[in-house]
Amino acid sequence: MSGDGDDDRRAAEYAGLVRAAAGGDREALEDLLVRAQEVAFRFSFLVCGHTEDAEDVMQDALLKTYRHVARIRQPEAFRTWLYRTVRNACLMKRRRRVGEPSHLVSLEQGLPDGDGGFAAIDAEDAGMRPDDAAINGWLGKRLRAALNSLPPSHRVIVFLREMEGLSTREVARVTGISEANVKTRLHRARAMLREQLEGR
Amino acid sequence: MTTRTCRSRAAILARLSAYLDGEIPAAECATLKRHCRECSRCRTLVGGLCRAVGMCRRAGAAPLPAVVRKRARQSVRRLLSA
Repeated sequence: MSGDGDDDRRAAEYAGLVRAAAGGDREALEDLLVRAQEVAFRFSFLVCGHTEDAEDVMQDALLKTYRHVARIRQPEAFRTWLYRTVRNACLMKRRRRVGEPSHLVSLEQGLPDGDGGFAAIDAEDAGMRPDDAAINGWLGKRLRAALNSLPPSHRVIVFLREMEGLSTREVARVTGISEANVKTRLHRARAMLREQLEGR
Repeated sequence: MTTRTCRSRAAILARLSAYLDGEIPAAECATLKRHCRECSRCRTLVGGLCRAVGMCRRAGAAPLPAVVRKRARQSVRRLLSA
C-alpha cells in the first residue's frame, strides 16, 4: 500500500535530484531527465493509449524539464509539476490528433525526399516503433485492457495514485480536481478494475 | 454470518478504498477482517479488489522496455552534448 510516508519519500527523492541538478551535478541532471521521459512514456502509453505519441511526449518532457530545472524555486513541487506537464502534453497531442489529415505516411513509406518520392527511414533513427513487440507486450494485455476499459477521467487517477504512487493531494494538484473527487473516482475505478480483471 | 444474510456489504464497500489506503482505524480494520473471515461474498469482493490494486501497484514498479530506456538515455546525451 502506498502511504503518505512513501509519497513524501518519492517527492523528496525528486527534490534532491532537482537541487543537485540545479547545482551543476551532471549525473543528477541526467537521472532527472531520464526519469522525466520515463514518466512521459508511461503516461502516454497507459493513460492516453497512443504508443505512436509517446516519443513526442517524451521529447516534450525532456526539453521542458531541462529548461525548468535551472529556474525552479520549489524543488518539492517538481514531481507534481512534471506530471502536470506530461498530462498537458498528452492532452495537446490528442487535440492535434483530432485535426490531423486523414492520410498519414507510414514508416514503411518513409519521409518525403523533396522530389515527389519517399526516402527510406534509417532503422537506427526510427526510434520506438509503435508495433514493437517489447513495447506492446509491456505489462501484459490483461491489465492494459482493464485500464482501457475505464473512463479517461478515472484511468488517470488509477495511473497517478496506484501506479505512480502519488498521494491524493498530489493527484488533486495534477488533475485540478478536489481531493474528495480524487477519492470518489479512485473508489469507482478500483471497483471497475476488479470487475474487468476478475471477469464479473 | 451466512452469505445470504450479509448486511455489512454496503458498509464494507463504502469503506474499502479507505481500507486499501490504510486510512481506517485499527479497530475498524480488525472488524472488517473478522467479517471477511466469516462471509465468503465479502471475502471474495475484498480479495478481488486487493488483487486488482496489487496488480496496478506491481505494474507501476515494473521496468520500462529496454528500447524505451535506451531511447531516453540517448536523447539526454544528445541534449547535453549539444
